[in-house]
Amino acid sequence: MSGEKSVTLQKSPTLSEIIINNELPWVQLIESQLLDIPRPVMPLVLNGKRLVLFRNDGGMLGLIGRNCPHRGADLCYGRLEDNGLRCPFHGWHFNYIGQCLEQPAEPKGSQMYKAIKIPTIPVAERAGIVWAHWKERYGFDEAVNTAT
Amino acid sequence: MISQELNDKITRVGSGTPAGNLLRHYWQPAALVEELHASLPVAVNLLGERLALFRNDLGHWVLTARKTRSDEPIVYYPNADQIQILDDRPIYPAVEKNGVIFAYLNDSDPPDFPNFDCFRADESHVFAFKGLWECNWLQALEIGIDPAHASFLHRFLSDENAEDHYGKQFRDKVIQTNIPITHVLREYHCPEIDVEETNYGLKITALRHMNNGTTHVRITNQIFPEAICIPLSQEMTITQWHVPIDDENCYWYAMFTSFGEPINKQLMHAQRLKEHELPTYAPKKNRLNNYGYDPLEQKTQTYTGMGMDINVHDQWAVEGMGAIQDRTREHLGRSDKAIIRYRRILRKAIKALEMGDRTALPMHNNDQIKSIVGPLSNDTIALTDDWSGVSHRADLKRRAACSWDASIL
Ligand SMILES: [Fe+2]
Repeated sequence: MSGEKSVTLQKSPTLSEIIINNELPWVQLIESQLLDIPRPVMPLVLNGKRLVLFRNDGGMLGLIGRNCPHRGADLCYGRLEDNGLRCPFHGWHFNYIGQCLEQPAEPKGSQMYKAIKIPTIPVAERAGIVWAHWKERYGFDEAVNTAT
Repeated sequence: MISQELNDKITRVGSGTPAGNLLRHYWQPAALVEELHASLPVAVNLLGERLALFRNDLGHWVLTARKTRSDEPIVYYPNADQIQILDDRPIYPAVEKNGVIFAYLNDSDPPDFPNFDCFRADESHVFAFKGLWECNWLQALEIGIDPAHASFLHRFLSDENAEDHYGKQFRDKVIQTNIPITHVLREYHCPEIDVEETNYGLKITALRHMNNGTTHVRITNQIFPEAICIPLSQEMTITQWHVPIDDENCYWYAMFTSFGEPINKQLMHAQRLKEHELPTYAPKKNRLNNYGYDPLEQKTQTYTGMGMDINVHDQWAVEGMGAIQDRTREHLGRSDKAIIRYRRILRKAIKALEMGDRTALPMHNNDQIKSIVGPLSNDTIALTDDWSGVSHRADLKRRAACSWDASIL
């Protein structure tokens, strides 16, 4: 598998989904300029993992698991605001490394958000290309999260 | 988070499965009466079974298995002349209730119907419709017993004129005030939630304490095993079942019930027909067209960017979880109080059936079942330090003025 490489851009059920199969430690994802759009949020499947790639207000890129860790809503339709991505189901707010920062429907003073983190893959931008550090992926349950 | 084993147990509905067995001990919506205008039999796809609905020699509605092609779509409505009834299979009873055909997919004796408002209201005061959601029934039900989500998923960034609200949810003004419900939901997004177990399921109270010393009190209900009863507007409630077609698809069946004027069924029907395809009742906005998602609208008008129809928001939320929500990765919070409580009742009922004890199931004691009335379901405004009792009094008042017998004493 390692070294094998393919990139597909397809019109998929959820927005326009990019499918990439490449198990090298660093994987080339897309040209940065594809994210020069009013709402830089993009569904992406990397080696079978369903992800969402987004750029926050400060310009940082995030590559995180697609389903909200609360009850599984699809974060590709998330609200890109407050320097992160917010789930439209209950307003849970995540930063670019998938750390939950707010759960507005939880009682005041709740600390639950601190323990909520979405699986994430580090990304870097070099010479107009977005790269994912596949080898350093964090928080994925390998058995479960390879669902289609 | 729950184990995969438990998730399978509470979601899968085929014949012989624990949850499937439980649902087969309750009357299930099987078709709308409006679907029966074509010639009989009519195809019914329910609980993973491929059935046909027709009248027997006595003129009673019955269902039995039909011959199935291996490649037929899950949601499939062949013409009557293409339906071949299998005559060596069990025959199940079905009955008509205010626009909906209910079926009992079991050879044991069915329980009586409780005396809910949607069943006993005059036919002129009940309107029924259904719609397809492409996901498991349990996640479809669970969004209906989650009072907090309305403050986010259904948030309108500004308050639409409440004049055009007939037959739509969350568009009315709050009773006895000029405050649009959209405003209350948006500004008070962290309701205090109280859940109480009842003889029909759960009574769910969502309190939104407002900064003028009053509290918005919204009472909704879980009706065991797979229905909810919620307010639609000041004069109408919705009783809605989430009925499995199979493990990965379900229909919502809604009975809109009016305590005031007879329902303008033509208008209600036209509103919903505009959003659905027949004969499948599949929503025109769906996964394939991204639910009509518009990022600009999401920025300026609605929380989802998927239009003003809250059914579409709910459909997006539950279908996006996947065919069967992966509950091994969920993190329930305090806002999910009613869901947690519901699953406890569900597991208890499944366990009772595994022990062979039908009498332990909710609404299975025919001596008491006719005394199950209501349920109370409304939105009211009360003084924050004296809110209890206000919903009940408003309910009694609405019932006393009702043209059909809505008494609960
Ligand atoms: Fe909803």
